[in-house]
Amino acid sequence: MSKPMTEKLPAQRLMSCGEVSCEVLVNPIPRPEPEPIRITLKPKVPRVTLLDHKKPNSLAIMQFARQILQERGIEVSERILQKDDASTAMPAALLASLSQEPGLVLCGVSD
Amino acid sequence: MSHGVLDDIEKCMDSGWTDGLPVIPPYGSLVDPMLEALGWQASDVVGVIAEQSIKVRAEQVAATAVMAGCKPGYAPVLRALAQAILDPLFNVSGVEVTTGGASVLVIVSGPVVAALDFEHEANAMGGANRRINATVGRFAQMVRLFCGRGGGVLESHGTIGHPGRLSFCIAEHPETAWGPYHTQFGLAAEASAVTIMASEGPNSCNNHYSSTGAGILDTIGDCMMHYGQTAWYYRSSGFLVAIAPDHMDLVKRDFTREAARQYLYENARRQTDDLVKVGRIAIPPLEFAEVEFGAMRTPLKFIEQLSFVECGATGGRFSAVVPRWVGSRNVVCKQIEGL
Repeated sequence: MSKPMTEKLPAQRLMSCGEVSCEVLVNPIPRPEPEPIRITLKPKVPRVTLLDHKKPNSLAIMQFARQILQERGIEVSERILQKDDASTAMPAALLASLSQEPGLVLCGVSD
Repeated sequence: MSHGVLDDIEKCMDSGWTDGLPVIPPYGSLVDPMLEALGWQASDVVGVIAEQSIKVRAEQVAATAVMAGCKPGYAPVLRALAQAILDPLFNVSGVEVTTGGASVLVIVSGPVVAALDFEHEANAMGGANRRINATVGRFAQMVRLFCGRGGGVLESHGTIGHPGRLSFCIAEHPETAWGPYHTQFGLAAEASAVTIMASEGPNSCNNHYSSTGAGILDTIGDCMMHYGQTAWYYRSSGFLVAIAPDHMDLVKRDFTREAARQYLYENARRQTDDLVKVGRIAIPPLEFAEVEFGAMRTPLKFIEQLSFVECGATGGRFSAVVPRWVGSRNVVCKQIEGL
């Protein structure tokens, strides 16, 4: 079984101790300094919006997911949104727009 | 070496401060001279990875250089290299976490190669067993590893990877037939430069019997267009072609660099429908992929995605093709100052 994430993180601080004193080793790994994240955990409306991140087969999986959800009577936005490039971060405008989405956003899975 | 140092190496290994190989422990007494050689103060911000909310500070870069085994004398190269890796154009987090198993390929060119005694002949693509090649290449991979994982919360999803993820540094011959590598990216011929691209592993190209430059280029082109090349669909990246001296003797007789590039662009193509048949192109294809059924397809979207480096030893008729990682569209080339 794999270790929990907190146990896998690189050490924040290492000391080197000789016979009489200890020295802090210089940490080579930068840590994130994020702004507080505000997310809504529960959708306000029962609707799903799909986002294809353009990795291979992502769109096909999203289309299949839309079909299954619709067959189960769940409202799904007809249009599947697309990120420009699988390998880069989501553009700020798209992220801002999705953050206003009151339903559930389901992002791309692949390959 | 005292047992205390060995204990510290083990401590680094056990605590995630490693690329998998033993490291030099980043004692302050080693990091300080490295910082001074780099010309930075400890808290200077060398780069920002905005999407990870990470600021990379100079002491972290200097510690990484020490850990990789670099000498302070390599600092002019390391400074430009760190800035290149942390340039947002390079997309270091994408390079680190991709399923593509990409490395940071480092190309050093210009007078710096002789000045710092890089190996540029035998085993120039890797395994040259020269400290500067090995540790500068390792430093680049360690910066990728340490800075690209969001402080350790992300994981690499490399499907198969390649050995260059431990160290991948090519030094170009100081004397070249077609001009220094960096002139392909707008720098002056007399400059020294470090250039990086995210890459897959190198493919060796053997041709011992052709007597023409076209024969050599056809061999290289064939290597660029096997079915398994990642480039066929998105075509976002490109290739580095490394030409060794015996091949270069033939190629330079008939081709300038620009003519060789044009030749490969025009001739290294295969039938689109065959690519569809083996599943290399999605049906229906994305608009971005610009798929033209029935036409011959190049793995390059633009001719500029192909560049040439001159390196390697005489006495063998080999060259190499390095496919760039599809998700990193940019080659980042920085001039080395302060030699």
